[in-house]
Amino acid sequence: MRLLRRVMAVALVVLCVAVVVVYQSNRPAAAHPNPVVFVPSEGFYRNFSPSVRVTIADVYWLSAIQYYGEHLKSDHRLDSLPAMVKLVTALSPHFTQAYFSGAFAMLDAKRPDVAYGLLKRGYAANPRDWHFPFYLGFFVYACASGSQKDAVAAGWYAKAARLPGAPPFVSRLAAELAAKGNETQTAIDLWTQVYCQGGSYAEQRAVTALDRLLPKDKVAREKAVAGLESTVPHALFAQFVADLFQGYK
Amino acid sequence: MKRVAAVAVNTFRETIRDRILGVIILFALAMIVASLWLASISLGQEDRMIKDFGLVAISLFGLIVAAFVAASLVRKEVERRTVFIIFSKPVSRNEFIWGKFLGLASTMFTVLAGMTVFLFLLAWLVAKSPSGELLLAGLLIYLQLLVVMAMTMLFSTMTSAILASVWGVCVYAAGQLSHNVLSLSRTGHTEVAHALSTVVFYLVPNLSAVDLRAAVVGEGATSWPHLVAWCVYLVAYIVIALMAAAWIFGRKEF
Repeated sequence: MRLLRRVMAVALVVLCVAVVVVYQSNRPAAAHPNPVVFVPSEGFYRNFSPSVRVTIADVYWLSAIQYYGEHLKSDHRLDSLPAMVKLVTALSPHFTQAYFSGAFAMLDAKRPDVAYGLLKRGYAANPRDWHFPFYLGFFVYACASGSQKDAVAAGWYAKAARLPGAPPFVSRLAAELAAKGNETQTAIDLWTQVYCQGGSYAEQRAVTALDRLLPKDKVAREKAVAGLESTVPHALFAQFVADLFQGYK
Repeated sequence: MKRVAAVAVNTFRETIRDRILGVIILFALAMIVASLWLASISLGQEDRMIKDFGLVAISLFGLIVAAFVAASLVRKEVERRTVFIIFSKPVSRNEFIWGKFLGLASTMFTVLAGMTVFLFLLAWLVAKSPSGELLLAGLLIYLQLLVVMAMTMLFSTMTSAILASVWGVCVYAAGQLSHNVLSLSRTGHTEVAHALSTVVFYLVPNLSAVDLRAAVVGEGATSWPHLVAWCVYLVAYIVIALMAAAWIFGRKEF
């Protein structure tokens, strides 16, 4: 009787193990990802304390990355990504990386308009970060169409160049694009600022560009350069004039 | 003062030797290490994820210690009848409550300091971003949990240990969300609900007035006068809760 009970107990365990193994082995390794997922409105979390909001934003950030990766590898449908990124940035407005990565992910979602709006919101929340106007300029230049796009992009780059920490190439980019967009006076002003930033490379680039943009006639050029006097430091102005009138007698 | 210190030292020894405390600390450290995994899938946000989820782990596991150990601290002595041995000596009930609280506060300090330093080192070694704010955040979490401990001890003088623990956790949650209670009641139009939520808003400790966890990850800055005022407010809250606990415990008949 005792032996029978033991055998039955062992048999029961074996049976249960078999059921578990069979069930688990038939389980699909990866669930089919759904392109449309529920993303709550940020209004629901608005009154939570900042630390709770930040943690919720981080959790949604991780799920947005997971969602992006899954759908980029499978069906290329990123329907819910705009809402996800919007939620993350609404809950944590200074999470700068979420704006940048989110904006580039929006290009994969074929929503450059959402990317532009996202970066504009990021710039409003972080007005001292030069990356935002820089990327806004980049998005306009790369994604927009129309005759004004170079001038608009130049405007964003010019804003970026004025912010602390912006590398010198940003102002050169702004000046270059302003010239390309036929914003001659803006381009002249921006190249003058590039010249004032110093560095032999920047000065050389600025002089070459200004030489191309300024009038060739000596009198007209003198008049144009005189108009720039207020934007150039006094100590630098004589050198600036000399550089711009190298070929003139 | 000497008698309070004697009870406190004894409580510290008793709680620090508790096996459950060791298990909780191990789980907390495991959770902090798990934040490394979260960091690895965060698209270059290791620093932010380690700090945020690490501090969440510290808060939650600290809360478990605060609510569950504090609830059983006084009740255990009463149920085991060891309280009679203590009261046969020249120790008042008031001194007993304060000693118990200070003893557990020392244990909590040891536990939280260990976890915070561990997180600080992790952030330093893995994300290469040591942050003094992280240590300060650990200190403020400690202060928040002291309030929960004091409230739980107050509840434990009135009700069972389990119920006191549950209420302790509720105080923590309500303290974090008290602002929501008020704003949610304003969206409705019931006068009773509004009055009730106003009472809850003013009665429940304001645990979310300073958000150093958010500041650690770059959301908002810390204003020192505001921080100091909040700390003084929390200390005052602790004193009120402990005095109430001592008053109720003093009137209890065993």
